[in-house]
Order: sequence, then structure tokens, then C-alpha cells
Amino acid sequence: VSYVRPLLLASLTVALLAACAPSERREPAPAEKPPVVSSTPQDGGTLIRRLESDINTLNFVMHTTEYEKDVLSYIHAALVEIDKELKIAPGIAESWTVSPDGKLYTFKLNPAATFSDGRPVTARDVVFTLRKIVDPKSESVQLAGLYENLDLANTKAIDPHNVQVAFTQSRASQLYAFNIAILPEHFYARGNFKSAFNRSVLGAGPYVLREIKPGQTIRLQRRSKYWREIPPIETVLFKVLPDDDAAWNAVKRGELDEMQITSDHWKREKNDPQLQERLDFRRFYQLGYDFIAWNTKDPLLADPRMRRALASCLDRRSIISSLFHGTARIMTGPFTPDMWAYNSDVKAIEYGPDAARNVFEELGWRDTNEDGVFDKDGKPLEIEMLLAAGNTTSAAQAQVFQQGLEQAGARLKVTSLDAAALFERVMAGNYQATMLGWNLDLDPDLYSILHSSQTPPAGQNFVFFSNPEVDRLIEQGRLQLDEEARKETYRQLHALLAEQQPYTWTVQVSTKWAINKRVRNVEEANGLGLFYWHPGPLQWWLAAPGTAPAPEPAR
Amino acid sequence: MLTLIGRRLLHAPLTLIGISFVVFLLIRALPGDPVDFYVSQMGPQAQSAAAIAEVRAARGLDRPLLAQFALWMTAVARGDLGASYIDHRPVTEKIAEKLPRTLLLNVLALLCAVAIALPIGILTGARSGSWLDRSVNFALLLLFSVPVFWAALLLMDWLSLRLNLLPLYGIESDDVATMSSAERIFDRIRHLILPTICLAYGQLAFLARYSRSAVEESLTEEFVTASKARGLSESRILLGHVLPHALVPLVSLLGVVLPFLISGSVIVERMFQYDGVGNLFLSSILRRDYPVVMALTLLTAVTVMVANLLTDILYGVADPRIRVAGERE
Repeated sequence: VSYVRPLLLASLTVALLAACAPSERREPAPAEKPPVVSSTPQDGGTLIRRLESDINTLNFVMHTTEYEKDVLSYIHAALVEIDKELKIAPGIAESWTVSPDGKLYTFKLNPAATFSDGRPVTARDVVFTLRKIVDPKSESVQLAGLYENLDLANTKAIDPHNVQVAFTQSRASQLYAFNIAILPEHFYARGNFKSAFNRSVLGAGPYVLREIKPGQTIRLQRRSKYWREIPPIETVLFKVLPDDDAAWNAVKRGELDEMQITSDHWKREKNDPQLQERLDFRRFYQLGYDFIAWNTKDPLLADPRMRRALASCLDRRSIISSLFHGTARIMTGPFTPDMWAYNSDVKAIEYGPDAARNVFEELGWRDTNEDGVFDKDGKPLEIEMLLAAGNTTSAAQAQVFQQGLEQAGARLKVTSLDAAALFERVMAGNYQATMLGWNLDLDPDLYSILHSSQTPPAGQNFVFFSNPEVDRLIEQGRLQLDEEARKETYRQLHALLAEQQPYTWTVQVSTKWAINKRVRNVEEANGLGLFYWHPGPLQWWLAAPGTAPAPEPAR
Repeated sequence: MLTLIGRRLLHAPLTLIGISFVVFLLIRALPGDPVDFYVSQMGPQAQSAAAIAEVRAARGLDRPLLAQFALWMTAVARGDLGASYIDHRPVTEKIAEKLPRTLLLNVLALLCAVAIALPIGILTGARSGSWLDRSVNFALLLLFSVPVFWAALLLMDWLSLRLNLLPLYGIESDDVATMSSAERIFDRIRHLILPTICLAYGQLAFLARYSRSAVEESLTEEFVTASKARGLSESRILLGHVLPHALVPLVSLLGVVLPFLISGSVIVERMFQYDGVGNLFLSSILRRDYPVVMALTLLTAVTVMVANLLTDILYGVADPRIRVAGERE
């Protein structure tokens, strides 16, 4: 499951604060003892994690945000897990078979698997969970789409530990959709999901909900008995801390064990020796990218030559060096280098306003009134770009783009809107260009975002892109079960889409994290980073205060 | 006096319906609805059109605007403010959880501000034109101009990070459950200090300047000359005669300040992770969580009306002439 980047919920104050923060940072108290290297996991302790926003629900079926997913990943176990190599691994299901036509999945559940109330996880619970996901009444906007082709009539419990799940159509990526929590029927059948009951949670994962203070903290406690490997950490405390500067201060003071940091923080703080002593700075690439979406329905942007010319006015190298301090890489198409679908032969569109100028002329644009901006039929070559208000990096990227376009004789008008307003206009096709980011699914399927049948409201093809060859390749890739053949399909798609530019893929910014050094055994999965794979954070452990130079918590 | 109150109370429901209707239209006029907010959070996988249609239908968003308003209004008349679109919790529960926090913080800030501002105002008003008056005035102007977020960061940096005297943010410590009740109160107070300072200093500067000019003006009144002629001491004149006189305009000012006490300060609440009404208001607007926005507006409207009524009554107490006039009418 994936999400549009948090660019949308960015705070109004953060931008101001970053600019006004005292330039001279405080000197942290020096560590009293050198770290003692210890590699045996220590048991116990409280891990303190950050939530950038409060949760709206703890009901897995209804969850929509990454923050909710963060909390739920401790409470639930998945039917199948994603391992560190991004491969499907056993979870509640210890094994499974797929029928030759790819439409029938049979899962054998681990008989040891239990919910935190001690009752076993059964095939009935699996069927219950799937029914709840596809029932529109549950408002499972995030998950229901994964089970569009679910054949409910033929989805049933064979016996308590075997369940068959049927589909009306096969999908190469369908198995990934089973990386979902299984909800106990005996608990969830009791309550109305759309009531305060959505804060109740019971799962088959290693932790249970201990306490919620709305808007402040969520405390999870390790189960006393667990059917899988018992995680070392006893308590996980989530703190709701929307403000980046407040959170960073808390990390420095040892009141928070981890947070994602910005490129600016990364550059400014990473080399501070005193911080280095206490904080582990990590940087990695996840499956996600930033892009400019072009509304291909707009007459001005309908021609791929125009979109390519505009793309060549975006100085991505300058964006990477000045905005992201070298911690980002150029995107060439819809897949990132960590994905098997990536085609390394596709070259990025080079920055060249002069070349763009020639293309504009080829397309019939002239500067008749000699104001430095091309015009045609009395209208200047001007594009309006929508930005999510409060997102400083996209605003800065738009500025760089503006300069490039100006050199090529075109103008960029920037309009900032809040998330709901921005999406209303984008989904209605009432825009020319916008700057967004995707966090991708593990499977490279592009159906919902670029297939011609998926224009809103059916899907998320909000660039209204329609190309028969792209449609054909997308459909082919969804069905191919042979890995090599599938790979070739996506390589072709990558090249064709780079040529067509329905999006201008801009950059992939690496994720940066600061983690207190008392947290040990923190591993990254290629493409996923620290979270959302198994065991991921479940294998973390906390070094006792004597072993690590953990700062004294404030009293 | 009673007729005044009675008349006001009679008008109140109509006024509230009017205000609610305008706000209802205003928030709907904002582009985007709760569904757009949901969609904006989703990833590039297939959407379930059925689930999205259900989100709209379950909230009545597919009905005509007037019907939606009528539904909301009748529910409110029955005392039901509805549930949040986003987390399905009853709106009253959400507000009841945050309102006491905001009230506590804001009342505290206002009391501090008044307690410091009044003496400063009297002192400088009495010595108007002196070097003390001018330098205090200048200092107050500076204080008034300091942006809150900057002051907050500075205070956090010094008092929390460098000197480690006060907690950085929040309402209480994580381990509050293990504390005795005395420790708990102390813990709460420690958490309140920085946000209170940040909220109070601007009001302080404003109130001090306001009361200063009120005192200065009162000093030119004839009763001051008369009092001096009667040989009263300066402090007696100031505290016994000038201050009550100068308080009258201040009372009306408090009527304006009161509604702000419940609406909260978004910046301070956010920076100190003080989860109050201000935070709730902002996030509800951004998420188009209509029931919460409507309920908070209604609450603010009621407070404004109560504040106005209170001001009128207090006016009467502070200045008997007004009371008499009101009753004769």
C-alpha cells in the first residue's frame, strides 16, 4: 500500500520556522562515557517514535495514512510478509499455492498463530477481513482497490487452517495484496467501524495497545506470549509531534529516538561531532519519486514534443545540488533504479533551454511583441502550476523551473493551494501542471495511474494520458506470470513513457533519518528503508543506559 | 438590567442560526471536500470507486446544500453536534477534550498579562513623558513586535535545550502515571510556563500601553484636580479614583479578548505540541472536517455573545451611569 507524499500535510509554520531558527545551534552535553560496543540484543526498554500527525483510526481496514500504518505494524501480523529483499515471505500464512490460471490462491495458516487475546487466527478471520475490505460500507478507500477482482462467492474457509481466495481475473502482482493484517472476526464483527470503535484494535502482532492520549501519545506494550520470535523492545511509545523543529529538539535531547530529517538538517547537523556521537544518521532511497504532472487534455500540453521541451527547461542537476545538497538522483521514467522494472538505457532529458526554444519555434510559437516570451494567437506561452501550500521544496523546485523556462522564452505561473483544494482541481482536470510525489507499491504496475481507462473518477490517471501502445504494455505486464517476459515489458514501458512524458519525472530524493544510537540492529531494506518490511523495526533493541552514550532524559 | 439580558437572550437563537448558515456556506465554498482530502492521501493503486462513493453518501455530501444545512441544524437543536468525518469521534467529545487545555493556557496567559500590564500602565501613565515612561514604552513596542514563533524557538533553545530548566513541549511528561498528585501538578505547571510566556507577552505589551493611555487621559479629568485640591495623596488618587475610571474601557477590551480565550492560538499550540482547540480548528479546516468546524464556530459565536453581554453588565458595575441609562430605556 502506498501513499501520496506527506507534501500535502506540510505545516504552515515549518517553512517560517526553518528560516528563522537561530543559526547557531546549541552544543549538546558531551557524552559521559564512550559507547560500549555490544552485539547481544538486550531485552526491554521503551522505544520512543515520532508521529508527524495524530492517527484518525486504528482500524486496519479503514486506515489511510502512514502514521496509522506505523502504529498498526506493531499490533498486527500480515497474512504474508515482505522480507528485507522485498520478496514475499510467510506470515500468518506459512505456505500458499496459486492455481495455474492465477485466479485461485490457497493459504495454509500457521496453526500456532494467535491474536493477542489468545484465540487462534483462523481461515474464517481471513475471509472476514477480505469481506470487510471490499464492503463499501467500511470505507476502505486505501485497500479496496487491491481486491477489485475478488470473487467473494468462491472465497471461503476450507477448514480452520486453510483458506481459498478467488479472483475473477489474474494479476501478476496479486500476491503483494495479501500483505495485509488479519482482523479477528470475534472482535471486529461486534462494533460499528464508523464510530469510536475505530480506536479499538486487536491483532495477531507482537504488541498490544496499552493507552491512547488523543493528540499526544500512543503506548504499545509487548505481548507476554507470542507465536513468532519475540521482539526485544518492551514498550513502544509514539509521540504526536507535527512540528519538525520541536521534534528535532526532542531528538537532540534524547526524548525521541528517531525522526526523518530534511536535506537541510542533514547538511547542517550531520557533521556536528557531538551529534554524531549520539545520533546515527542514515540515508537511503525508498520507492518513490517527485514529478510534474502535465494535464495532457490541455491543448497546450497535448503534444509530447511540447512536454519534452518543457522538461528540458528543468535544471535537475542544479535542484539536486542546491536544494538537496547532492542527496537526490535524477529520475528518467516511472521506475526507480532499485526496481527490477528499471531500464538503465533510458537517458534523462538534458537541461537545455536553447534546445527548448527551437522546439517552441517548430511548434509555431513566435515572440511577436518582443517581450522575451513566445506567443501564438495573441496568447503568451504561459503555464500555471499548482503547488501544495506549505511545501517548501516543491516551491523551490518551481522557482528553478521558472528560471529555466524564462531563458527558453516561456512563463510559469505558480498557484498554491491546500491539499483538498489542489486535489479537487487535479482530479477534475481543471489544471495545467502540478508538482507531486508518489510513494510506490512494490509491484511496478502502472494501470491505475497511466492506463487510459483510469482517468478520474475511475482511477488516478489525472494527467488524462491516453496512448494505445502504453495501454497494451500495461495490460500485458499485469497478466504476465513469466518474470523475464514481464521485465522486458516494463523496460519497454519505461522507454516509451520517458519519450511520451505524461509526467516529467524529476528527482528521487533520498530519505534521511536520525536515530538515537541507543537503538541497535537498525537495518534498511533496499527500496523500503527502515519500515514496512519484516522484521524491520521488530528486530531493533535498546542498549541499556550504561552501554550507550544516551543523553540524560530531562527531569 | 434584567430586561437587557432578556432581550439579548431572545435574539440569541436567531443570531446563532444566521452565523451558522453563513459559516456553513463559507466552508462549503472552499474548494475540495473531505473526499478530496482522502484521495490526496492515497497511493498510485486502483481506487475503489464504491468506497469513495460511500464516503460521500455516508456523510450526506451527495445531498443538496440546503438539505445538508437543515439536517445539521435539526441535529444541533436536539443537542447532537455530530461526529468527525475523519475519525468518527463525537464532536463534543473532541472539543471537551481540548477546550479545558486551551482555556487553562489562555486564562493563565491573560491573568499574567493583566497582572503585569496594569501596574506598568498606571506607573507610566502617571509619569507620562518621563524617561521611565518613554523607555518602558519603547520596550513594550519592541515586545509587541516580536513574532511568537521566533520567541518560542528562542525560549525553547535557552530554557529547555541549553539550561534544561523546562520541558520542551507537551502537556505533561511521559511518566506522569508514576507521579504523585503533587508532582503531577508541578509537572503540569512546568509544561505551561513557556507557552504562557509566549501567549502573554504580546497581550501584556498591548494592555500596558492601553491602560497607560487610559490612566493618562483620566489624569486630565476635573475630578483629579478636585481630589488634589482636597489634599489626597497621589497614590490614593491613582488607585482610588483614576484606576476605576481607567478600568472602564479596559473592561470592554476584555469582552473582545474573551472569545480568543477559547479559540486558542494555532502557532503556540503547535510549537509546544499543546494539543488544544487552535490545533483542532486548523486541522479540521484543512481536512474539510465540516462537523468539527461548524461546532467550533458555533461555540465561538456563543462565546462572543456571552462576552458582549458580560461586558455590558460589567460596564454597569464599573460605571453606574450606564446602568441607569439602560434601565430607563
